[in-house]
Amino acid sequence: MNLFVFLQENYSTAMYLTWEHLWMVGLSLLIAICTGVPTGIFITRNKQLAQKVIGGANVIMTVPSIALFGLMLPILAVFGHGLGKVPAIIALVLYAELPIVRNTYVAIKNVDPALVDAGKGMGMSKWQLLREVEIPMAVPVIIAGLRTAVVMIIGIAAIAAYVGAGGLGVFIQQGIARSHESMVLAGALCVSLLAVVVDLAMGFLEKRVTPRGMKP
Amino acid sequence: MIEYDSVTKVFGAGKTAVTATDNVTFTIEQGETAVFLGPSGCGKTTLLRMTNRLESITRGNIRIRGREIREMNAQELRLGMGYVIQQIGLFPNKTIAGNIAIVPRMLKWDKKKIDARIDELMSLVKLEPGVYRNRYPVELSGGQQQRVGVARALAADPDILLMDEPFGAIDPINRDQIQDEFLRLQAQLRKTIAFVSHDIHEAIKMADKIAIFREGRLVQFDTPEIILMRPADSFVSDFVGADRALKALGLLRVKDAMNREPRNLARADMTAMEALKFIEDNNFAHLIVLRGNRVLGFVSRKHLKFERGNLEALAEKFPEELGVREPLRDALSAMLLHDLASFPVLDDNGGFAGTISYKNIQKSILELYSEYQDE
Amino acid sequence: MKEEAFGSPAAATGIRFLLLAAVFIAGIAAERIGLVEYLSDPWEREYVLFLAGQHLYLVAVSMAMALVTGLATGIVVSRKRFRKFAGVVMYVIGLGQTIPSLAVLALTMSFLGIGSKPAILALYIYSTLPIARNTLAGILSVSPAIIDAARGVGMSPARILLEVEIPNALNVILTGIRIALVINIGTAALGYLIGAGGLGDLVFTGINLMRTELLLAGALPITILALAGDYLLELLSLLIVPKGIRMAG
Repeated sequence: MNLFVFLQENYSTAMYLTWEHLWMVGLSLLIAICTGVPTGIFITRNKQLAQKVIGGANVIMTVPSIALFGLMLPILAVFGHGLGKVPAIIALVLYAELPIVRNTYVAIKNVDPALVDAGKGMGMSKWQLLREVEIPMAVPVIIAGLRTAVVMIIGIAAIAAYVGAGGLGVFIQQGIARSHESMVLAGALCVSLLAVVVDLAMGFLEKRVTPRGMKP
Repeated sequence: MIEYDSVTKVFGAGKTAVTATDNVTFTIEQGETAVFLGPSGCGKTTLLRMTNRLESITRGNIRIRGREIREMNAQELRLGMGYVIQQIGLFPNKTIAGNIAIVPRMLKWDKKKIDARIDELMSLVKLEPGVYRNRYPVELSGGQQQRVGVARALAADPDILLMDEPFGAIDPINRDQIQDEFLRLQAQLRKTIAFVSHDIHEAIKMADKIAIFREGRLVQFDTPEIILMRPADSFVSDFVGADRALKALGLLRVKDAMNREPRNLARADMTAMEALKFIEDNNFAHLIVLRGNRVLGFVSRKHLKFERGNLEALAEKFPEELGVREPLRDALSAMLLHDLASFPVLDDNGGFAGTISYKNIQKSILELYSEYQDE
Repeated sequence: MKEEAFGSPAAATGIRFLLLAAVFIAGIAAERIGLVEYLSDPWEREYVLFLAGQHLYLVAVSMAMALVTGLATGIVVSRKRFRKFAGVVMYVIGLGQTIPSLAVLALTMSFLGIGSKPAILALYIYSTLPIARNTLAGILSVSPAIIDAARGVGMSPARILLEVEIPNALNVILTGIRIALVINIGTAALGYLIGAGGLGDLVFTGINLMRTELLLAGALPITILALAGDYLLELLSLLIVPKGIRMAG
């Protein structure tokens, strides 16, 4: 029960770190959505381009996060941002891009071509088609991609504590360094809870966003 | 009306070029239903899709009411036409009402007008608005969905309807029904319709004129009767089927062929002996027994020999009754089934109107045939 | 949701090697002298190889375990009798992935202490989901018509599983294994933090001491291993997946 004592005593630190964590995740997600969704929509026009973009994003995913942090260090150190939030946010954005771009692309591509034909034949412009048909039908899958992305980067943000980015990973890092078991557990528990709660919340969002006529 | 003027469509270029439509020229008049018919790959769907510019025209012109469609804005063109496809294509994320309202909304009708129109159209296609308005396509059967598809196409009251195998995805039983309903609708609305089909039966049933295509070329453009009676070449006659006389019988009605003044009639109060004499004097096969103008049945030699009493008691009922409006094909079928060479025909009120026999039927087919040979 | 297979293997490979080259060039350009100098020392080279060995050990053991449980779970849950548990089971296994890897490591450490055991356990938990989920999805995606035909011919359920369902699902299953492997290799780097060794040693030490050549000596091999593992499995799938199924997409 040392864990709960620890949390009680360090309540404000815990809150601060949680806030720091959410801040990093939130900002990165926002950037990734603003760049990723339009990209996903854009590459539906050109299959070759789509392959390259998604292939590239896939490869970034293959690089382990800590390695990416490590690789960015020397480069960013030149600008004085080797450690801290900047490399963390850059990495988070990069990792979040793949699920978002890929899901957006697949979601729009998977819209039944008969619907696109019917829409065009009725006199819809490209924009109207996107707005009335393609995007509403793609939203559930896009949200599913967002869900994957956000859970993933909550995890990576925890590792970012090791490059000085702060967040709940700090408890784990410091706890291991000082052999302070309850600190480690506090960090692990808090960040796990955060991830599970966000995952559930996104799950609800996914359900709510699925248009009535399409629930399987 | 829709004019096709030397319309040609080529896909690809050079060695791999495919000519989907080759110099097609014909005109669909206002209010007419033209069925584009032919085997798969013959270019009928391509031609339809060129009509609303979903496919581009390589050479030639298509004119709607005199205006070249190439000079029109593609979107505006399509907003002015209804488009019904085989896969139906209702948007699953919108309600039935939402689907029907799409084009009126794009045309910026006001809400009240749209709502009224939705109710009107749903009743027209026999889908109770109160029940189905807020349902989703996924909750409806295939037949119901396609009716919504038709309603959606008619929403903005376009003059022209383009239909690409619209009833193809519906099971045969419901397909018959929806075809009948559509014919009734068209009789009321008189739209100009281009209808793609690969089914000769559907074509004969639905068309005012049929355009038969083969490998991109228009082979014949005529009424169903002419196509059946005077196919332009062996391809058409093969496509139409060797039973084209029987198909034509589907187009002719009993009233066109019947004998209105038959002589082998007898009254119910005649006696058996009188009837037998009447039969033998005239060498009839049988007599039709009437009371007033109600048909009681028939009598032949075997009913009358050695019998007494009058015909009322002896008459054998006809196994089937034929009405004036029925197709000749049904009459022939009844004759074959019951092995009777002639049947009485009843008018719309059930009264006796005349008889129909094998000979009558054959005569009318031959007349039809020779009518189209002389042209 | 079905994932599209993207482009020819050649295109993906091309991109991979391009990135690999870029990684190499960047690494070399940035700290050319530092890294080469570092690696020219045989002791250090040996140390890197030793760590790589440790790293691979963690990966291998945990993957083997994950393969067994992942495949088994996926198959069991795909059976009609257990299908209704699929949602719950997948969610529970999925928790292992929802929860951040660092947290899983921290938790296993508090139960099992430090060393390779907790690391392997954590990696095992982390890698099971992609395998299980893809196995289930792959099997469920086999057209019911095919299974019906197999039953009609008189095949027993076990036979159908072995000869029909799994071969047809192989594509998807192998993708799941690939994803699991890549995640595993990356996460194994964190094993250093709880005393399991591995290439993470160089990375974290490099960050702490601000010695970039150490960092790269760790990060580059991990990246190479991950890319190589991904590539090898793709080759494997090209070899194993029956041609007819691959062609059908």
